[in-house]
Amino acid sequence: MSREEEVLEKLKEKFGEGILGVNIQRQRRIFAEIDRSLLREVLSYLRKELNFDHISTITGYDYGDGIELIYHLAYEDSLELSVKLKISREKPEADSVSDIYPAAAIYEREVHDLLGVEFKGNPDLSPLILPDEWPAELRPLRKDEKLEDIKSAIEAEAERR
Amino acid sequence: MSGSMIKVIFGPQHPALKEPERFILNTEGEYVVNAKVRIGYIHRGIEKAMENRTYLQNIYLSERICGICSDAHTTCYVQAIEELLGVEVPPRAKYIRVIVAELERIHSHLLWVGVAAHEIGFDTLFMYVWRDREIVMDLLEQVSGNRVHYAMNTIGGVRRDIAGEKSPKMLKGLSLLEEKTKQYIEMIRKEQTILKRTIGVGMLSKSDALKLGAVGPTLRASGVKRDVRKDDPYAAYDEISFNVVTNDGCDCFARIIVRCEEILESINMIREALKKMPGGEIRVKVKPSIPPAEAISRVEAPRGELFYYARSNGTDKPERIKVRTPTLANIVPLCKMLVGGYIADVPIVLAGIDPCFACMDRVLIVDSRKEEKRVWDLNELRRYGKEWYGRH
Repeated sequence: MSREEEVLEKLKEKFGEGILGVNIQRQRRIFAEIDRSLLREVLSYLRKELNFDHISTITGYDYGDGIELIYHLAYEDSLELSVKLKISREKPEADSVSDIYPAAAIYEREVHDLLGVEFKGNPDLSPLILPDEWPAELRPLRKDEKLEDIKSAIEAEAERR
Repeated sequence: MSGSMIKVIFGPQHPALKEPERFILNTEGEYVVNAKVRIGYIHRGIEKAMENRTYLQNIYLSERICGICSDAHTTCYVQAIEELLGVEVPPRAKYIRVIVAELERIHSHLLWVGVAAHEIGFDTLFMYVWRDREIVMDLLEQVSGNRVHYAMNTIGGVRRDIAGEKSPKMLKGLSLLEEKTKQYIEMIRKEQTILKRTIGVGMLSKSDALKLGAVGPTLRASGVKRDVRKDDPYAAYDEISFNVVTNDGCDCFARIIVRCEEILESINMIREALKKMPGGEIRVKVKPSIPPAEAISRVEAPRGELFYYARSNGTDKPERIKVRTPTLANIVPLCKMLVGGYIADVPIVLAGIDPCFACMDRVLIVDSRKEEKRVWDLNELRRYGKEWYGRH
């Protein structure tokens, strides 16, 4: 068994039905989709038991019917495992993993800024890359936000100053 | 906040260099007790912009994310797109990518050594290093026609060959660079001006570096042997021999030594790549539209792991492109390095992660007892650092 298969087998063994799908794309690139309620348990298991000790980043992606969060983890820098989960678009919430991966705190802030996802348990979700007075309902990376809307928000902000 | 705690606001403007950032430092006496970061002053919305442009246009957009490691960005981007397409790049193109990437690393690291010298007031070294950096800039110009945006990569290969006169000229330039770099390393190891300002400054322990997600030379200077080129090889890195340089110093001095030694490794890698480079095509033709797929691409940029995630949707425009630059990964470790250090050391510690050179001009010092506010720029802070060290 390749180490890629081994990791996915262990995940399936531990979480069973909670693992909704897996994919080995190529050497060193694996994907696993999980049930959203298991986020903290899966990441904690990967961090502590399987020693995935690096988080490259968190990708947030608006697929129309919901928001997908992808946690890109690496084992000894050489095996990239992307853990995916889907959350609701109307009330986008996920548990923070900043205590499991301290480096994740800043990536959660970025996803919060751009897609409006609330990470429960993250102590600081203040704006990281958007201006302080940015309108909370305008989340630039959402698919229905047009470039024109973003442009007028920037112009309105410039006028306030 | 206790009476003796003073909040020092660092940044965001920096007129001479790129990427403004603001650091809010809580200080007690001469010590930094807490550091917070605010970025985004030049957030350009490139991820959103990419969704509205074609794959080909996005090469040029990704190149403009960074003015120093522009080649790392295009390499990472085109690799992701090639994986979406399932295209294999011709072997010669892979070698050319390695050569340009290593030339870029040499130029970036030399630039950084100069900046680090400047931050501690050692401008003589800054001048010498930047003079010699021109050698590698000329080599890059010879290969690509440009000094900054090389525009070498395209989806399916590279746009220009390295052949004919270019190879012997490059070898000559590399020999000169090697000689100079060795001189600098010898000098840096002995020079009190550097040793006194960098040893034990900006400490980041091995466990903290790993825990906080540091990348690149910052991580390797804390004794962690990790390098995407070795661990997750791309282009032709699996066919080229090199050492992953590490240092157990965990301080600013270790970060200088790691980068200098990486320059020597890069020089040897380019020599080997020029010797081993196979003949043949340098690019393959690709289709403009890409069926739905997803891909992850990683590159060891001069500052560390650069990360791209790409997803296609069947059109000629991407559904989603996610970019994570190495500086963002190094920001949290940086806050840790600042804590417990002197205010006077803040410039060199900030420079220590080579923050693509961000931030930190205007400094606002608020004395909470007197409610007095003073605004400093980086020059004043640098002067303060030098004066403070003159007294102590």
